[in-house]
Amino acid sequence: MVTTAIGPSMAVDLGGIRMRNPINTASGTFGNGIQFEGFYDVGATLGAITCKGVSAVPWDGNPAPRLAELEGSAIMNSVGLQNPGVRGFVDRYGTYLQGLRDKGCQVICQVAGHSVREYVEALELFEELAPFASGFEINVSCPNIAKGGAAMGATPEAAAEVMSALRPLTKRPIVVKMAPHDVAQIGRALEAAGADALSLINTIPGMAIDVRTRKSRLARATAGVSGPAIHAIAVRMVWECAQAVSIPICGIGGVSSGADAAEMILAGATAVSVGTANLYDPTCARRVVDELTQWVREQGADDVNDLVGAFDA
Amino acid sequence: MSTTSQYDFEVMTNEQVAQDVWCMRCHTDLAALLSPGQFVNIQVPGNAAHVLRIPLSFSRTDAKARTLELVFAVVGEGTRRLSAMQAGQTSTMVGPCGKGWQLPTRKGRALLVAGGVGLPPIVACARMLTQAGVGFDAIVGAQTSDKHVDYLLDELRALAPCEGCDCARKVLVTTDDGSRGIRGFTTAAMRNMLAEHAYGTVYTCGPQPMMAGVAKLAASAGSDCQASLERMMGCGFGACSCCNVALASGGYALCCTDGPVFDAKEVAW
Ligand SMILES: Cc1cc2nc3c(=O)[nH]c(=O)nc-3n(C[C@H](O)[C@H](O)[C@H](O)COP(=O)(O)OP(=O)(O)OC[C@H]3O[C@@H](n4cnc5c(N)ncnc54)[C@H](O)[C@@H]3O)c2cc1C
Ligand SMILES: Cc1cc2nc3c(=O)[nH]c(=O)nc-3n(C[C@H](O)[C@H](O)[C@H](O)COP(=O)(O)O)c2cc1C
Ligand code: FES
Repeated sequence: MVTTAIGPSMAVDLGGIRMRNPINTASGTFGNGIQFEGFYDVGATLGAITCKGVSAVPWDGNPAPRLAELEGSAIMNSVGLQNPGVRGFVDRYGTYLQGLRDKGCQVICQVAGHSVREYVEALELFEELAPFASGFEINVSCPNIAKGGAAMGATPEAAAEVMSALRPLTKRPIVVKMAPHDVAQIGRALEAAGADALSLINTIPGMAIDVRTRKSRLARATAGVSGPAIHAIAVRMVWECAQAVSIPICGIGGVSSGADAAEMILAGATAVSVGTANLYDPTCARRVVDELTQWVREQGADDVNDLVGAFDA
Repeated sequence: MSTTSQYDFEVMTNEQVAQDVWCMRCHTDLAALLSPGQFVNIQVPGNAAHVLRIPLSFSRTDAKARTLELVFAVVGEGTRRLSAMQAGQTSTMVGPCGKGWQLPTRKGRALLVAGGVGLPPIVACARMLTQAGVGFDAIVGAQTSDKHVDYLLDELRALAPCEGCDCARKVLVTTDDGSRGIRGFTTAAMRNMLAEHAYGTVYTCGPQPMMAGVAKLAASAGSDCQASLERMMGCGFGACSCCNVALASGGYALCCTDGPVFDAKEVAW
């Protein structure tokens, strides 16, 4: 008879979103899950997926080109939240996403807007039309839209204003996606305004100039940098934020291995999202689940939660 | 449900076939799943500083032998490393990606217009048309004579003429500098062809400004036009929205899943 070793417990609770393991996907880098079904069984594998940011009405997003590759393991994008609006999103993906829930994978729907009112409208629609959503992530940190987006999360006051307006609209958990600045201060304000969890970081604003033409390599002058190159910065911000708040954190930024995810957890993250790596290595998130589990085992822990924030400063 | 997946490949041969142009033949199970005009997204080993894959169309697949033929220009770091891959080396490719060429819905001969390394998918298209009994003429342009891929030109010329059709197939060659064939752009040659013949459908792949010109000429001649577009690609399978193509009707489509082959009328050139 074969006896299988009982693995460590990998289940985590991201502010009320109960995940079978800590691995989630970063919004905008995983389609809405279905695009990855040819690569692996998403619903049977991941703790959660976070869907692309969706607004109350459809947005076109920014002109082409929206993407540049940078030297040193990074890319830069200016997609600008192209999305079909909440109704279009639910029509296209609702059945698939309910299927993920049925398989035990949590579904986090991302809410986008240009103003408090637009966030409210989008969340109201989601609340009504998306029974499959395990919780919501509020994107107050998109660097790629002309107004709203990052500006909404730029100061503790503005971020708290959005959060306070949204809190009464749903009983489901609300995660707030934060920009890479002032994370301790803004995190505290969001916690006070009723956020159940925080996710960080969004892309880091950058520029890439074609020196021959003196023009931007993208259609916009500035765009968001992501990928392995930003990992160390993201870990530092997760660590700073974790010390400032008591709500759970989802660590995001340049994660492409179990070791990268483990760093996030040691720095204080309860869950970890794989982002850009999904695009060039489509089976990455599945591998990260396996490697992270192996690491927990190697650390001699019975429960991954025992390692959250266990960084030995 | 998406059927795009990741496949291993092994290089069989990889050799230079024109100035800065290489031809790689490889073994992969993916070969059996591809249709002309689709593309694959290749992970090129050897430099962790460049993370994105290289999207490439193909000139030929052999479903039985599981082989795939790629023809690519060396234009930067990724394609340089791809050209350095040796027989026996392995990596992965993602595919099948996107929507390929459609058979014509309009009667009449087809016109193929290729610019530079737009030629490989055009050769795959020519084979598809020949199998379907659709005759074609072709215009193949390159900057200079040295950049023309001779073996692909020979393959185009050798494709059997269509059954029951007495067309004298034409494969016109142009160069920007006049070092071979007709001097000037493919669109100038196309204008002359259109003056002599009516074509049901025009198929084009090449630099975007060339395709914009081809689309315009095709529309004014009353021909259908299918164009294979290029964009920077983050994923190649619809996960990132990085590869947008502006539509004539407003808004954007994604090059990697709605294309790369588009009905030229639908594109905001
Ligand atoms: C669907 C599709 C099919 C393609 N098929 C072929 C093919 O059959 N043969 C072939 O030679 N090339 C093809 N290309 C273009 C090829 O993907 C690029 O030349 C290649 O990715 C450049 O990578 P690099 O690292 O060598 O260049 P980089 O160093 O990244 O860039 C060098 C130059 O190439 C341009 N470039 C980079 N990526 C792309 C891209 N995805 N599309 C167009 N230009 C790009 C850059 O703007 C720059 O000017 C195709 C592209 C697409 C999107
Ligand atoms: C192509 C692309 C699209 C993105 N779209 C969104 C989005 O819609 N909403 C959002 O909050 N973040 C978006 N992001 C940011 C990621 O979710 C993530 O925060 C960031 O890329 C850092 O993680 P990474 O380095 O692992 O990619 C996007 C990133 C990329 C590369
Ligand atoms: S390249 Fe990612 S959606 Fe097209």
